[in-house]
Amino acid sequence: MIYEVRHVTTYGYSRMVPFARCILRLLPRDEPGQSVQASELAITPRPAERSDGLCFFGNHMTTVSITRPHRELRVEMRARITVERPAPPHPGLTRSWEEVAALALASASLAPDSPAHQFYPSRLVPPVPAVVAYARESFGAGRPVLEAACELMARIRRDFTYDPDATEVSTPLAEAFAARHGVCQDFAHIMIAGLRGLGLPAAYVSGYIRTIPPPGQKRLEGADASHAWATIWCGPETGWIGLDPTNDLIVADDHIVTAIGRDYADVSPLDGVLVGPGSQKIGIAVDVIPVG
Amino acid sequence: MGAQGRIRSGRTRAERRAALLAGYRPLPGTYDEFIDAAGSVRPHWEPFLAEWCALSQAELTQRFGLADRHVHDTGVSYRVHGDIDERDPSAGERSWPLSHVPLVISGAEWQAIAAGVAQRAGLLSMLLDDIYGPGEIVAKGLLPAAAITGSPDYLRPLHGTPGGGALQLYAADLGRGPDGRWWVLQDRTQAPSGTGYALENRLALTRAFPDMYRSMNIERLAAFFQGFRAGLVARSRRVDPRICLLTPGPLNESYFEQAYLARYLGFLLVEGGDLAMREGRVHVRTIAGLKRADVIWRRIDGDFADPLELNARSQLGVAGLVEAVREGHVHIANGLGSGVVEARALMSFLPAIAERLLGEALILPNVATWWCGQPQERETVLARFEEMSVAPAFRDAGGLDRAPVVVGEMPAAARAALREQIATQGMNYVGQEVVRLSTMPVYEQGRLAPHPMTLRVFAAATPDGWKVMPGGFCRISDEPDARAVSMRNGVRSSDVWVTSETPVEQVTLLPTADRITIRRVTGTLPSRAADNLFWLGRYLERSEATLRSVRALLGRLIDADAPAPGRIRALRQLAELLVAWGAAPGGRGQTPASQAYHALHSLDDYGSAAASLREARRTASVIRERLSVDAWRLFGDLQRQLASAEDRRRPEGETYELADRALKTLAAFSGLSQENMVRGPGWRFLDIGRRIERGIATCRFARQFADPDASSESLDALLDLTDSQITYRSRYLLGASLQPVLDLVVLDPFNPRSVAFQIERLDAEIRDLPSLTEDGMLETPRRLVLRLAADCRTAEASRLDRASILLFEQLLMGLSAAIADRYFLQNGGPEGSRLTGIA
Repeated sequence: MIYEVRHVTTYGYSRMVPFARCILRLLPRDEPGQSVQASELAITPRPAERSDGLCFFGNHMTTVSITRPHRELRVEMRARITVERPAPPHPGLTRSWEEVAALALASASLAPDSPAHQFYPSRLVPPVPAVVAYARESFGAGRPVLEAACELMARIRRDFTYDPDATEVSTPLAEAFAARHGVCQDFAHIMIAGLRGLGLPAAYVSGYIRTIPPPGQKRLEGADASHAWATIWCGPETGWIGLDPTNDLIVADDHIVTAIGRDYADVSPLDGVLVGPGSQKIGIAVDVIPVG
Repeated sequence: MGAQGRIRSGRTRAERRAALLAGYRPLPGTYDEFIDAAGSVRPHWEPFLAEWCALSQAELTQRFGLADRHVHDTGVSYRVHGDIDERDPSAGERSWPLSHVPLVISGAEWQAIAAGVAQRAGLLSMLLDDIYGPGEIVAKGLLPAAAITGSPDYLRPLHGTPGGGALQLYAADLGRGPDGRWWVLQDRTQAPSGTGYALENRLALTRAFPDMYRSMNIERLAAFFQGFRAGLVARSRRVDPRICLLTPGPLNESYFEQAYLARYLGFLLVEGGDLAMREGRVHVRTIAGLKRADVIWRRIDGDFADPLELNARSQLGVAGLVEAVREGHVHIANGLGSGVVEARALMSFLPAIAERLLGEALILPNVATWWCGQPQERETVLARFEEMSVAPAFRDAGGLDRAPVVVGEMPAAARAALREQIATQGMNYVGQEVVRLSTMPVYEQGRLAPHPMTLRVFAAATPDGWKVMPGGFCRISDEPDARAVSMRNGVRSSDVWVTSETPVEQVTLLPTADRITIRRVTGTLPSRAADNLFWLGRYLERSEATLRSVRALLGRLIDADAPAPGRIRALRQLAELLVAWGAAPGGRGQTPASQAYHALHSLDDYGSAAASLREARRTASVIRERLSVDAWRLFGDLQRQLASAEDRRRPEGETYELADRALKTLAAFSGLSQENMVRGPGWRFLDIGRRIERGIATCRFARQFADPDASSESLDALLDLTDSQITYRSRYLLGASLQPVLDLVVLDPFNPRSVAFQIERLDAEIRDLPSLTEDGMLETPRRLVLRLAADCRTAEASRLDRASILLFEQLLMGLSAAIADRYFLQNGGPEGSRLTGIA
């Protein structure tokens, strides 16, 4: 599947901002199953300094300093991406979850895709006993890891209400869990917290899903903005498998991966500090158009 | 030694020695530093003991007094965690608990310790380079990846950066076991504290025992610091780099030490807000604009150094620092990611790593440790659970405090819960052998008693390799239980004396003549320091004005003459003045005497002398590295003088005396700053603050007392308040009359208390401040002061009225704001807001 993605973010400020420094993690990853034909990032006002590179986890990262006084910051990302992921393994044929946890703990790799980075708590995914207890219900002794994780994903989809007004970026996962409400970000964090509490490596993924559903199918949640889900390590043979608890889907060709990290803080699409008080108004527009 | 001649108290040296030793009983089953198992004094303590016994009880007391006074005078302090009052950063500080007996270590034994610490520093340094570089130690199976990735100090953004984990200063906490061997209890690689305290302990004890220190050939500390500084300089590409000490600020528990070290080493003490990133480089905000920082010695945790790429919640760092490190534009010591090798999870792997990396065995072993992230090790710990101590494998892991807990002493329920935690989340815990520490003598209640201690030893990366400080920071527990020791539980510290067989080499931090470039301007003044000096000047002057008003008020109250109407009015005016600037409450219940009391002591009235001094001390406490010890001591004196007196009905004469004495102490402070402070920008801002405040206060005095129908008593009060009585009397034979008084107090440029004099001084000071403009235009502060000076020079006393004096006052306030805008908040100040997150 080939997609054209356009993602425009605008910040309007109530007062002139003389200086801002931002990190942008908006350009999609080039990785197995997904190749980026072209991508670009346009920023206004024009930054005085800009540097482009890859972060530890291999995500694109652009840091900019804007020294021109401005009342609006506009960032536009455009990309053309081909997605062709191999079919996922049969969940029932993956290793047992206990085995996977032991293998992760014994890992001898610090490489970015090593499971060793993904089973400890992280800043936005602290250990929450209630979440671990919730996840444990799906993880009977010796159960294949992907089968159990898929069941957990389905339960989250069933037990939680998608509600864009219920939470903010800063809502702790324990709160979203208690309320059984949230958005894709909350569901991803909750699922990751549950898996990590069992010693299983699980990472956070930001990206997009196709906006226009195939004929006769329902439009997916989270399609009008950037999306987020989880990815779980199923052992050295299978590697990482993406699981989207918002839609109860194993990630295939409807998903476009922008960035992978331990939690939202590692991959937040646009972050920055600026001089000057005053309030902000944010606008986001995302188009994901299949072109072939 | 001449010791025989000192015997005055009737006891001989031999008798004293016998008495001291008779009372000293080492704890069973522990190693004692002072006495061996057979009960004899260890030979390297003999010279110390001999000198000690040569002193009478009275002499000892006097010597201790010298050391304690040194500690008190230099203001050595530390802060206990959570002991913080935002309004008064110096409030939670504790004075330094110095033990007067040093830990004496023989030169031969020290060599082994030093070799072990240097080896370990080198090993951890190599390990850091590997963790943030190729990762071979993990790939070769010598260390599980999970023993690293669990650490919150493993900072992935630093991976592959130059010096991401570079180690410059390393410390090891050592303990000595019952068999006499030293063990490493804890590695410190993040931002080790204690070097400054070690230096202070040394200064205090040598003040008490100078002869002992000299005759015993104690190794000196200065060379260590010289090497440390040379190591930092070598990290920069510039010959004369600007080195900053990045502090978390005055609320940090060891802020005193940081300020002290900055002053001792000649580094610029900065907070995150003092730093600004421009063009990929780190700069310090100074009154002369942004100046590049080449090397940063950080005392904040690495994770807090950059709110953009690291911990977003940090208020301590500067956004973009990681980028600057990545680009190689700044060297940070220790590298931001260096804390990762502090984790106890690593300890059990170090022997094998040493064999592989160094081809050597560890000289100093660490305390036996089992990381429960490995199945077998976890089983070992659970099997021997009751006899173990358990500690977090990583900082903040598993809900345990940093210090190990002794399992056998835990309540049964907590023990069971911990066991369950280890069984399911083993990677967060280590089990360790319970350590029994050695003891050393502490002098208390006239005798020596054994107390458990730990020893922190420091190593610095110098251009000539790792160098170990010959001495260290010894911490002594108040508990007889020889297990965990923490500074937070009220322990004492002592100096560490390493004796040398040969006379020691003298080194000071003074550079040799051929290496020193003569200069008269001392670097750049950070904007924050300028801001604080300016306000220090203003608060000091404000308290002086209040004290003068109080004294004038009480002087008139005490005077036994019959109350004339003019005097009653002057009294009322003085009281009104105190109320108007918030020094005392107004209202019916108040009498002039009660108002004077408030104006002196009340911390609730923001304009009182005590409150202004509290503010002065608060501003001073964050620029402590710029104030002399003498100046700091005067603060203590002043605070004691104005500490709220219990007796509210004490005679007015006494209150008068008190105000008078406080004024004298303040005058001493002014004298110190006039006579002893270099006329650099720092002094200039202190003086500008004083001049502005004095100008404003004098305007207020003049407006209050010099109206057209002012009585001679009111004018007399005005002359008192402006300290101009004598000048007036010498010029005019008649009593006080309006126009001559106004001229003297407001317009006379030769009267150092007049408004005109302040303005002339301000003109001169501001002219000499650095200018940022290159277009030849005047900067706002300069423009304002020129206008003020012109207005003042051309004014005439006959036309001076309240409105024109008020105008001077307002212009002075405008000048103050303009100075703040230009010099303290330049470039809009630090980044304050954050973009709202988007999912």
